[in-house]
Amino acid sequence: MKRKNNAFFRWFFGEEDTLIGKVEMKAQPEYEQKEGEIRELMEERAQLREQIYDVRDNTKLKLFHKMYNIAAVIFCITLISILLVNVSWLPHYGDGDNPVNNEVSARYIESGLQETGAVNIVTGMILDYRAFDTFGESNVLFIATVTVLILMRLDKEKKAPAKPGVEVYSKAEDDMTMTIAEAQANDRIYEPKNDAILQKVAGFLVPIIFIFGIYVVLNGHLSPGGGFSGGAIIGAGLILYLNAFGFEKTERFFTEKTYKWICFVALTFYCLAKSYSFFTGANHLESGIPLGTPGAIVSSGLILPLNICVGMVVACTMYAFYALFRKGGF
Amino acid sequence: MILEWIRFIVGTIILCCGLLIFALEVFGVFRFDFVLNRMHAAAMGDTLGIGISLIGLIIFSGFNFTSLKMFLVVIFLWFASPVSSHLIGRLEVTTDEELENYCEIEDNCQP
Repeated sequence: MKRKNNAFFRWFFGEEDTLIGKVEMKAQPEYEQKEGEIRELMEERAQLREQIYDVRDNTKLKLFHKMYNIAAVIFCITLISILLVNVSWLPHYGDGDNPVNNEVSARYIESGLQETGAVNIVTGMILDYRAFDTFGESNVLFIATVTVLILMRLDKEKKAPAKPGVEVYSKAEDDMTMTIAEAQANDRIYEPKNDAILQKVAGFLVPIIFIFGIYVVLNGHLSPGGGFSGGAIIGAGLILYLNAFGFEKTERFFTEKTYKWICFVALTFYCLAKSYSFFTGANHLESGIPLGTPGAIVSSGLILPLNICVGMVVACTMYAFYALFRKGGF
Repeated sequence: MILEWIRFIVGTIILCCGLLIFALEVFGVFRFDFVLNRMHAAAMGDTLGIGISLIGLIIFSGFNFTSLKMFLVVIFLWFASPVSSHLIGRLEVTTDEELENYCEIEDNCQP
């Protein structure tokens, strides 16, 4: 096929950038204020403060303050009464005729236990009936971490001198980028350092927090809890450990590589397992996953491993957010 | 029956004591000006207030698994709250440049 030689095709095949020379960023001249202007501004401000905010003599201002208070109270009372009237018009809690009591919730309540095997019906819903929704949520966490990584990450080594030919357009941008070594020298970023009280208490509390988080994750299908809450607890424990002992100790067991692999394995396992389950379910095949006895810890089919996956992703995301915002890498 | 009433009254009194301490805490947090004073008031609510309120709730609920959980909550908060107050105080001492205006500083003080 002979290709047309117009601007679009040349741009499409990468031969020519049509925007070069037409749309370009230009560095703006630095904004400078003259000393006289600044003094004028300050005088103006002082005048304002003296004449207008002089509460003792300015009767108008006094009146305004009084009216302001009265109006604020009236506004608050009106808002509260509007909201209360609205609430009183809502349907009664637990009424049989409420719009939420439709065939969907009836189905969940009646046959949720037989179909999912989870005693906690909420977990049965979010990890069995609507498992792909939860999968999307876990992916949202992962993508959010990746975005923060793009924005906040610092260079591992000393930043390279600007290459010849590559111009640095603004000076401010050049100053903002900090290397790891500079960040380590900056005391505020690494505060507090080696606090004995914090270390003692963290050494006592962190294992308990981890055990509690693991308990919440593993009992997601039996009691309130599950991957999200348990993962948040484990992530909080990791952050406490990091605060007490510093990055050097946490990097012995949790680095960027660990994060990458945990998220990758957990999300892939979730996707494959639930795809298999949905595929067999949609085609009326036997999935071969035993549901077990409801109430036992190893029961309800895929819900327990999926809970573990979600918990790992959430814990890693919490820790990664903290490490990225504090140091720009982990 | 009379035992139930005694339990109810004792629990209510202790719970009200806890709420009173919380009210004092909120009052102190808004009334004081300096960070360390406010931190003192806030830490009081998180330790003494929580402890007394949850003891009242434990008396209400009796001796069972729920009261054990509440006891563990008390222990956890007694560990966590003073330490966080300590960290806030340390950060304030480290970063505040006008600390001498508010309190005395010993010469051998090492923040």
